[in-house]
Amino acid sequence: MEIFWKTISNYNVSTWKIQVLIVLIAAVLTFRLYRRPSPFIKKAMMFFMVLLNLWVAVVYYFVYCSERPYYYIFAAFWIVMALIWCYELIRGRYKFERSYKYDKISYLLYAVPFIYPLVSLGRGMHFPMMTSPVMPCTVVVFSLGVLMSFSKKINLFLVLLLFHWALLGISKIYLYRISEDILLTICTVPAIFLYIREYIDSGVVVDSKPGVKAINLLLLGTCGIIGVVFTYIILKSFNIF
Amino acid sequence: MAKGEISINNNNLKSRAAFLSEYAAMLMGSGVHSSRVIRNTKRMGEAMSMEVIISNFHKSLMLYASDRSSGESVNILKEIPSLPISFEINTNLSRLSWEAYDGKLSFDELKERYRKLVARPKLHPVVILILSSFANASFCALFGGTWYSMGIVFSATMIGMSSKQKLLSKGVNVFIVFALCSFIASIVASTAVIFKLQTSDIAMATSVLYLIPGVPLINGFMDMMEGHVILGMARLIDAFLLVLCIAIGLSGTMMLLRNSLLL
Repeated sequence: MEIFWKTISNYNVSTWKIQVLIVLIAAVLTFRLYRRPSPFIKKAMMFFMVLLNLWVAVVYYFVYCSERPYYYIFAAFWIVMALIWCYELIRGRYKFERSYKYDKISYLLYAVPFIYPLVSLGRGMHFPMMTSPVMPCTVVVFSLGVLMSFSKKINLFLVLLLFHWALLGISKIYLYRISEDILLTICTVPAIFLYIREYIDSGVVVDSKPGVKAINLLLLGTCGIIGVVFTYIILKSFNIF
Repeated sequence: MAKGEISINNNNLKSRAAFLSEYAAMLMGSGVHSSRVIRNTKRMGEAMSMEVIISNFHKSLMLYASDRSSGESVNILKEIPSLPISFEINTNLSRLSWEAYDGKLSFDELKERYRKLVARPKLHPVVILILSSFANASFCALFGGTWYSMGIVFSATMIGMSSKQKLLSKGVNVFIVFALCSFIASIVASTAVIFKLQTSDIAMATSVLYLIPGVPLINGFMDMMEGHVILGMARLIDAFLLVLCIAIGLSGTMMLLRNSLLL
């Protein structure tokens, strides 16, 4: 636990200027994607997502979190996610087409990386030993927001990796009482439901059974179970249950 | 014509034998053990007034069919298609052979029914993904895993299974797919070890169970016991190679985690 916050502190002290720059680039690119999307901006956003995932893998884990045990496994997760974004960039299938369906939820998701530090401050923590907007969990929530707004033809594997990260968030809540990760958990379950429903509705798989309605019901039931389990773990970790 | 036999007046021996070989190959490809394939095909041949002898191999089958009334005979060598295991096709095609035997269908009706049964829609990959994840998480519970370990296994199976579906649809070699998916699922489940959760060893071990080739293993043993030794051996070797690939993937994760094959 001590090592956990110490590594975060070192990371924040050394990179806060770059973090501000990353947030600004993310804000400009996201704004342009909404207002004046062009092929160049779409490619730039995709390239930015590759770099952002690599940043977490290399700078966050390899450079600043090397004191943590098994940091390289977590770094590998982020390298895999960067590779998936890279694959989509090269393949050109993911076109950042606006879905318009989930705009409100995605705006909320974009706000979460900024709420993370506020929750830390609310818990009585101070800079640099606090969460910041460019950390693994915040990047996951931002990625969920981007995918939700532009969710036509999503990469299911990427979404499942993001879901697994939320599951890790639960373990951090349970073991270390890091309440900031509640935000990640709350965001992920409905997001996963909506992504997979979009995937089913998109008709990627034709001539299959059961019907779309039945699959959606199964999905809803599964996400419901996951939601109940997550809620139980969160409540139990804070001795509410 | 004896009671229960299909009218064959307008159909030549070759087309009937071709149909029977396709029927048998479909059963073999769908994961049916040899004696059942032979039984069903012979039953169908009986309904067409034909004597049928089948010799099964791992990738192909040879069918000899002889018309009881004319004495004419034909040999057909048929390639066994590489299909996903389907208990539904297995059951439906077995039922079809009984319907033919009971004399309820003409040859044309039989072909039409077969075509419809084979063309039935398959389960949606998302349904397979969700159900196999629940099944694997249940395995974790059966071996004594905690709720949290079950969650980790559920997520690991989802990620591993979706990679398996994707890679197989791209035509990647099945052995490479198994080794890779075993590595992916176990590395995802290794987070239970990283966080030093209770029963993390169970989570890791059960995360790859969705890959175990249960049906080929059972079919291999059944074939061996029923005298189809060569095919049984081939099926068992195939299944054991898949198990070896799963072990290679799991070992990769263990070496990364502990630099040893022990947890």
